[in-house]
Amino acid sequence: MLGTLLLSTIFLTDTTAMAPHHLDEVVVVSYKQGGKRSAKGQTASIDEHLSELSHVELVRRGSYAWEPMVNNMQTERLSTTIDGMKIFYACTDKMDPVTSYVESGNLQSISLNAGLNGNPQATGNIGGSLDLRLRKVGFAGAPFHLNTSVGYEANGQLQVYGADATHSSRHFYIGGGAFYRHADNYKSGGGDRLPFSQFQKVNAFVNTGLKLTDNDVMETTLIVDRASDVGYPALNMDVAKAEAFITSLSYKHLFVSPLFNSWETKVYYNHIVHEMDDTHRPDVEIHMDMPGRSWTAGAYSLLTGSVGRHETSLNVDGYYNRLFADMTMYPGGAAPMYMVTWPDVGTLNMGVSFSDRIILSSLSVLHLSAKVSWQQQRLNNEEGHQALSVFFPGMRRQYHQTTGRMAASYQLSLSDLRLSVGAGWGSRAPTVTESYGYYLNNTFDQYDYIGNPRLKNESAVEVNAAINWQPDKTFSIGIDGNAFLFTNYIIGQFETRLSPMTVGAEGVKVYGNISHAIIANASLTIGWKPIDGINWNTTLAYSLGHDEHDDPLPLIAPFSYTSRLTYSTGRLRLLAEVKGHVRHTAYGVKYGEKETPGWVVCNLSTSYTLQHVTLRTGIENILDRFYTTYADWNGIPQKGRNIYLNISFEL
Amino acid sequence: MKVKGLFLFLSAIALTSCNSNDDGVSAGIEIPGITITNDIDCCTAEQALQAYKFLETVKIIPTLTTEVDRKYNVYAYTRTGKFHIGYNEVFFVATKKSSNNYIKDFSITGLTPLMLMTKMKMEHSTPVSGSAEVFNDNFPAIKRAWVSFIMSSSESGSWTLSYHVDVLGGKGDVNKAGLTVDALPDGQAWLKSFKVGDDTYFLSLANASDWKTGSNVIRAYISKKSTPITTPYALAEESFTVDIDPRMPDMGNHTSPDNRPLTPQADGSYQGTINLTMTGLWRIHLTIRDAQGHVVAGGDNQSSGYSSLFWDVTI
Repeated sequence: MLGTLLLSTIFLTDTTAMAPHHLDEVVVVSYKQGGKRSAKGQTASIDEHLSELSHVELVRRGSYAWEPMVNNMQTERLSTTIDGMKIFYACTDKMDPVTSYVESGNLQSISLNAGLNGNPQATGNIGGSLDLRLRKVGFAGAPFHLNTSVGYEANGQLQVYGADATHSSRHFYIGGGAFYRHADNYKSGGGDRLPFSQFQKVNAFVNTGLKLTDNDVMETTLIVDRASDVGYPALNMDVAKAEAFITSLSYKHLFVSPLFNSWETKVYYNHIVHEMDDTHRPDVEIHMDMPGRSWTAGAYSLLTGSVGRHETSLNVDGYYNRLFADMTMYPGGAAPMYMVTWPDVGTLNMGVSFSDRIILSSLSVLHLSAKVSWQQQRLNNEEGHQALSVFFPGMRRQYHQTTGRMAASYQLSLSDLRLSVGAGWGSRAPTVTESYGYYLNNTFDQYDYIGNPRLKNESAVEVNAAINWQPDKTFSIGIDGNAFLFTNYIIGQFETRLSPMTVGAEGVKVYGNISHAIIANASLTIGWKPIDGINWNTTLAYSLGHDEHDDPLPLIAPFSYTSRLTYSTGRLRLLAEVKGHVRHTAYGVKYGEKETPGWVVCNLSTSYTLQHVTLRTGIENILDRFYTTYADWNGIPQKGRNIYLNISFEL
Repeated sequence: MKVKGLFLFLSAIALTSCNSNDDGVSAGIEIPGITITNDIDCCTAEQALQAYKFLETVKIIPTLTTEVDRKYNVYAYTRTGKFHIGYNEVFFVATKKSSNNYIKDFSITGLTPLMLMTKMKMEHSTPVSGSAEVFNDNFPAIKRAWVSFIMSSSESGSWTLSYHVDVLGGKGDVNKAGLTVDALPDGQAWLKSFKVGDDTYFLSLANASDWKTGSNVIRAYISKKSTPITTPYALAEESFTVDIDPRMPDMGNHTSPDNRPLTPQADGSYQGTINLTMTGLWRIHLTIRDAQGHVVAGGDNQSSGYSSLFWDVTI
């Protein structure tokens, strides 16, 4: 079984030949050196940083708050944490993936663990787990550091202003900063302006650290983020405001012991307030108010140690999250219509995870990880419970689920060849939308979705393999692949007996389990350094996703390619890039997906550093192509030609 | 002891409550107007308390009050202290003047609503329950009747209501007491009529004001127009089934699943199940079938595709 799957997925890979774990990647957000980073530097949005990761695609509903997909799986099959903290989006229409509540200036890096081998705090991460690592100067930094950046993009008049400063001493550090972004409507290829693609965002953060003793550290973080007047051209509504308050307090003890390394315990709290807005739209049939709220409080405690060849970690975590959303519709002259769309669902989740990295020899490493979680969900809102009970008579107020995951991977590094194989099993509980969502209109397929409290957990077996051959320093070729074999895959299913609520909707779907499904990804990467300073890198990627009837699943990437030529000397860096997708032929027609034509765009960028100042400029979509990708919700067009310029100053 | 405890409780109510039931009762009495004795005609302390608590939730209609044999008072109440078009519940209670305690056994019969249309010089009645019945065994002293008004009071017409009362052998009457019947607000239409041959029937929706989002019991009465029309319209002797199709006209005629038709119940009402997925205006399209299952009214699918016979309910 394993062998045949490996063969069937053998032609694939990763762009991070240098990363220690072949499927795990890090994109560096901050000004520190090393690793992958966006050509736009720190003024790049979180979304642009995310797009640097090779297993990541982004669903765009506008020019702000893109939804990351890892291994062609969306939010419900991923875990997203901020420094290990759980946070849940508050919009029933997924307008606010949690990555939208941080700013580049808040982060040191974004780390991705593809597949079931998640970070210790991750739960439900079948497709992968993203951890947004906050930037902390620590106790060994420069006494004072200042970083400011200003960016401008011609297309959409995007303006970015950011500044942050840190102070570091042996016993204390503090860092803080503020960011502001503002964009007008952008122009798609050909020059047409896309209405409702504007946004505005402010973000501020402070973090502190206090060394209590040589081995004991206390740290705090606080992030306040507010987006307002955010347009969503792919949807029927915009967002008046999306606010997050994210805070944590942690205590870390470093051991001077042969057994344990560190023990970190963190308590955290965050809340999100999200308010949609249709007041600026023309032709609104019925004005609606659709607010959503998310509160999360939690804690985790992570103990790491090493014994002989083992590097181990043990993590215990727990959180309580509440999600509430409702909708009030105002038909002209008649009584308002009200419904609860997320019935104030309280989720109490507790988990224990363990990982062990075993250095078998100087050439080979075995990595094992496992987690078990238990959760209880309660519908705190009576009206929402009564409403759902119409569809599920006799449904309870309270449900609980137990989920788990385990993964093993083996890596072998020879002089010119690196090989890895991995396998895992994991399950996830249905999300609040999938279990209890109420008439949530999905503009992707124009169906109203109703949650199903009787869903079974979804589970998947993952197998992955990668091989990288580097005969000499100038050339490398790698293939990687993975396959996820799902059982009880959760997806909306037609329910023709029900009548849609949203005016103009095609019908109603109720979430259900389908017996099985498969998602597989493969990529091929070639790197070539003909002469010093010149680097040519090409990646080809292929994915497939099928349901139990072998029909294509929606939002599975078509064959894609990226080719980059980089020239860098000490101070100057030039990058030319061609990327594209072929025509999306295996689109999920059954799931309302439409065909997307192939496209190709060319980008140029350059950066130059002179002492404290770095200048970055570039031109994206040079040929001003009009195009839309398979992940552009409702086929909204991408940006046309865009020239950007940004300057950052460091002291 | 138990009774003493109740007295204390009643005293507490007396101190904290104030409502129209206290009309005519002198202040300063520890129990709000009621003396519990071992009078077998009257309620026990528990029954009196339950009745008292219920009466706090309704409002008196002063014009329907009467006195019998100078020994008993009879009071009538509605939920709001007013009447409106369509189904109205009327609650009756009789008290002994000596103790003001509620009398267990009395009867209200011959409820006769009458509309006098002054301009047209015409009189007609409206659907009504013939008598008042005990509706909750916990407080048998309160009897319920109903009247379903087919039109509101106006300059051109006014309503009166008459009834007979029999309290412990003493008889009394309320004769043509004037009433004001209000129109229902927009988005509420709880009374509809249909014809089968020459007969006219009225469909009175009884419990729309209790509905919430979710699954609800739908209760209605079907009454038949009398000849002469001044005779109160009694419940129809024919048996029907009422299919319901609830729709939201403001939401593209959105509907809900698993609604169940109204079928005749032992108490003379019709009951079914209506599922409401949200608040707002619901138009409940009706199809009436006779005992043989033939459609006799509604279900005629007008241009909208839905029956032209409907109730409107805004929750």
